[in-house]
Amino acid sequence: MSDALHVQLEVNGSAVTLDVALTETLLTSLRDRLQLTGAKRGCNQGVCGACTVTIDGVPVRACLSLTAACEGQAVQTIEGAGGDPAIAALQQAFIEEGGLQCGFCTPGQLIAARALLEQNARPTIEQVQEGMSGNLCRCTGYHKIIDAIRKAAQRLHP
Amino acid sequence: MNAGLFRPASVEEALALLVRLPDARILSGGASLVAMINARIAEPEALVSLAGIRELQGVAELPAGGFRIGAMTRHREVAAEARFTGTLQVLPQAASVIANATVRNMGTMGGAVAHADPGLDYPPALVAADARVEIASKAGRRQVPAGQFFVDWYTTLLKAGELVSAVHLPAARPGVGVYHKFARVAGDYATASVALTMARVGEGIVTRAAIGGCGPIPILVDEANRLLSGRPGSGEVRRAGELLQAAADPIDDVRGSAEYRRMLIPRMLARAFAEARAAAGTQT
Repeated sequence: MSDALHVQLEVNGSAVTLDVALTETLLTSLRDRLQLTGAKRGCNQGVCGACTVTIDGVPVRACLSLTAACEGQAVQTIEGAGGDPAIAALQQAFIEEGGLQCGFCTPGQLIAARALLEQNARPTIEQVQEGMSGNLCRCTGYHKIIDAIRKAAQRLHP
Repeated sequence: MNAGLFRPASVEEALALLVRLPDARILSGGASLVAMINARIAEPEALVSLAGIRELQGVAELPAGGFRIGAMTRHREVAAEARFTGTLQVLPQAASVIANATVRNMGTMGGAVAHADPGLDYPPALVAADARVEIASKAGRRQVPAGQFFVDWYTTLLKAGELVSAVHLPAARPGVGVYHKFARVAGDYATASVALTMARVGEGIVTRAAIGGCGPIPILVDEANRLLSGRPGSGEVRRAGELLQAAADPIDDVRGSAEYRRMLIPRMLARAFAEARAAAGTQT
């Protein structure tokens, strides 16, 4: 194992300094070092979307991001997104529509859905399906998630 | 120090690092390499990140016509590239079905090309678009046709100490580009794919088709392209499909059997051809 690498980044608005191994992923750093367990480790291969966070405002897979490569970047997890009106609207709509059951995928769903609505304020069902295809859910069967996202879109852009 | 993460500011600096650190791996978007690290398929001691190299970012129109896609250009950017018109539409079409929106924010042209996974969407699209891959080495830059760059499973012409610095596209020609992917679920690697460009050249029509996911490298057959060019009837299209089918070397895997993939090829080709011809308005 290589020597620890010193990394400075911003997580949810706060400056953070970490000493990590070269191959440590952002997901591991967030969950195991910073106790930010909102982003979940599902597949660890970039397929399931449960670890979706943003880096400099862009949604990415935390499991495919190396912490050492995040030097100087701003990371936002679901824990830091609570004050965002778009996230709040999505959360409320997920509750009302039953867009979650076990909740494991929900943080990733919310971060990805916010990005979708930033690019497309009033997506059709097909556009939600395509935009959210990288976020797997094993409980809802997706219909309720799609309904929730479109409901939130309607409220955000009446 | 020989371990760690290196962040060169230029291609030349990156190449010097690759020479000095022969075991180092190149880190571009991380979408494949970090997945391999997580699966313990790759255990790099040193990584050379290309993120800080300006010349590798984005798409530039070339003075002589055509485009240069920098190696660090994300799939999202190619999917949204409005300048890729006519035959070059094949590139955005392929880019827009790679994995999913979040991974398209991460994965890069250079990473995909250098990784050369046969299930990827770019290799057949680049072959159909007659693209060239720009390779940087200490001796300078050279360009090779995409059809020659891919040589075997996960294997390209790249040698130790070299990197993919860009992909060059010829100028868009009037016509259409079509990319069809057959996959088990959205975002999966292709079970089989067809990339097809149909160009109006004077009074004639020049068609070029490449098959992905059905062997170690994209499949291109000159005779099939000859049959598909001009104004072929259904017999010529069927014959072209049979030639591509015969040239394929698919394997059995979780995405489908070799036999199933062979059955897909002529059907997918005919469908892509029909769509291209309808879009090009060249139906006779």
